Amino acid sequence: MSEPTAPPETAASRPDSTRTGPGRLLVAVYALFALSASARAVVQIATKFGHAPVAYLLSAFAAVVYILATVTLAIGNPTARRIAVLSCSVEFAGVLAVGTWSLIDRATFPDATVWSGYGSGYGFVPLVLPVFGLLWLRHWARRARTRRVIVPQATDAGEAAEIPHTSL
Amino acid sequence: MNGAVPTTIIVAGLALAGYALLMTALNRRVGLGLLVALGVLEILLLVLIGIIVARLVTGGRPAGLATLIGYLIAMPIVPVVAGLWGAMERSRWGPAVIAVAGLVAAVLMVRLHEIWPAIRV
Repeated sequence: MSEPTAPPETAASRPDSTRTGPGRLLVAVYALFALSASARAVVQIATKFGHAPVAYLLSAFAAVVYILATVTLAIGNPTARRIAVLSCSVEFAGVLAVGTWSLIDRATFPDATVWSGYGSGYGFVPLVLPVFGLLWLRHWARRARTRRVIVPQATDAGEAAEIPHTSL
Repeated sequence: MNGAVPTTIIVAGLALAGYALLMTALNRRVGLGLLVALGVLEILLLVLIGIIVARLVTGGRPAGLATLIGYLIAMPIVPVVAGLWGAMERSRWGPAVIAVAGLVAAVLMVRLHEIWPAIRV
């Protein structure tokens, strides 16, 4: 069975938000981690909080960061993009810090968090995800700057004034 | 429980991921073929959920019951959401979303076995 060929990148079909194009995949993977980290945190905290409180609170923190990144990347306006940069940065710092901490001080982590061992329990996706997130947001920040230079009267919200976009 | 259904889901999930990634490589967007394949995966997951629920009802109890119930809720949602989200995309990145759903289904089977070894793979 053949699938329809993607239309050429015309004005109507080019990616017009952080949630389209590669962002579609990024938001999907973020949503997946938001779901799994939240579910994990809820189950851990509700059923056996005393067993590994630090690990479970970090799971909950990771869940909040993933939810924030998912929602802001899906919205994609300038304010949301700023919050997304912050969430992805915190996420990256969190993976590195918790990953290192979990290797040095195993006693604090009798049970794993999403970020334990740099996300080794999740195929290291938690380690690379914020990097792709930040690269994608930088791409959008640059694009917004270019647009302001070419169309000085366009505001951040004036998505209608976009210049043709071919770099994807 | 024999491992026929989980094993079939792993094979189907990986096959779907391969098919979807091929569509991404060929610069195709989501079409009927991918959605049908995703539907087949969804049906297999629903069959497995039926088998697991039947086992729970007849008295089987895994150690991590709460986690298992979370998986039973999440499992059928993933392909549906991936299908909707992927079909909204008018570029090669739509099939990439569906590839994730296929990989997730395969990984979930391994995790299910860890939660409840009675679910063989």
